[in-house]
Amino acid sequence: MTDEQLMEAVKNGDLQQASLLFDRYHKRLFNYLVRMTVDRDLAEDLTQNVFVRMLRYRASYKQGLKFQSWIYQVARNVFSDHYQANRNRKKEVMDIEQLGERLADANESRHVEEQEQLLHRAMARLSDEHRELLVLTRFQHLKYEEVATLLDTTVANIKVKVHRAIGKLREHYFELEKI
Amino acid sequence: MEREKLESLIIDYIDGKLTDSDRQSLELQLARDPEAFKLYEQLREVMSAMDKSTAIEPSVRLRASFEHALAEEMRQLPAGRQVFFSPIFYRAAAAIALVVSGIAAGYWISTQQRQNDELVALRKEMESTKQLMQSMLSNEGSASQRLQGVNVALRVTHADDEVVNALVRTMNQDPNSNVRLAALEALATFQAEPAVRKALIASLSTQTDPVVQIALIQLLVRLKEKSVIKDLERMVEDERNLKAVKDEASSGILKLS
Repeated sequence: MTDEQLMEAVKNGDLQQASLLFDRYHKRLFNYLVRMTVDRDLAEDLTQNVFVRMLRYRASYKQGLKFQSWIYQVARNVFSDHYQANRNRKKEVMDIEQLGERLADANESRHVEEQEQLLHRAMARLSDEHRELLVLTRFQHLKYEEVATLLDTTVANIKVKVHRAIGKLREHYFELEKI
Repeated sequence: MEREKLESLIIDYIDGKLTDSDRQSLELQLARDPEAFKLYEQLREVMSAMDKSTAIEPSVRLRASFEHALAEEMRQLPAGRQVFFSPIFYRAAAAIALVVSGIAAGYWISTQQRQNDELVALRKEMESTKQLMQSMLSNEGSASQRLQGVNVALRVTHADDEVVNALVRTMNQDPNSNVRLAALEALATFQAEPAVRKALIASLSTQTDPVVQIALIQLLVRLKEKSVIKDLERMVEDERNLKAVKDEASSGILKLS
């Protein structure tokens, strides 16, 4: 079944189908949120919120709407709601020195390679808008068309902004490399 | 060339999105201009770092909490167990209780008049309540009638075999999952009775309704019924059980052992 058919079923009360949507999307959404928040635990809580909202507000899913766009929209709302409620906490979460630890899986004690650490630190220095654009297009591999729909703008505009974001990332990356 | 424009061209070049002529002219520029070449190398490194960046795995906690939220949401469906706690149900229950006590009082008064024997009358009241319950629980009525029947059972202060059997039968066999759940709730109030505990434990291995399975596991864990650990382990292994049920069983095992 397609994502859209599953969501229709959920909307019509067959909640069990939500498990399949969770299987298909939880890793992607978690990765989106972990790269946006740079905090594993927080990202897990927010991912959980996304799926709780999916269940609770299932009636608001409109037939014919691409599920992926809808669920990313929910994830964006969850993220922005969180930061609106905790605006003063943001600085603490974004403590660059702790990024490696925050992203490393405590259980696997995965070795975050130097290059990857540098990348995360440079990402953290980007504006929210630039970081989100790169997360969506370069890490999540969403098409420019999808991102344009999601952010309610044109493909051309997205392309210009993504290129600017890559340019900014390059600056931060090589500045940090010198340190 | 303006830097931003050059940067954009190089990004498209790395992404393989340039037309042949643009690509050739850019390659020429990169060969001639060391600054542009450096920019190209740096952009390539950053973009390749993003490409190579591995996905981060969420912990198992995420799935567990989702399954829990899903089970919770399923329980709150209009046809779910919420019926047992909603204010409207309390109002309905109060109304039924009133009717039942009216019937019982009528019975009681008439028997007292005839025999003037309080004990006999009380026994009869009990009997009538049980009969009412039994008849309401029989499958001939509607699901809401049977639900009321279960509620009548709650008025019985001491559960004898008949009441327990009727409730167990309802919990195991009623076609409506709300009625089964309500029967389980009613049985829970008689948890002190050894027969009730035995019936609950036995039901664990026969139940197939996930909502009842979960409620049953939660009840047995609350009763600290350690003897069900083996059954719970079987449930975790049984492929036919829903994930939410298996998770509940796993968490039950943890809590009991």
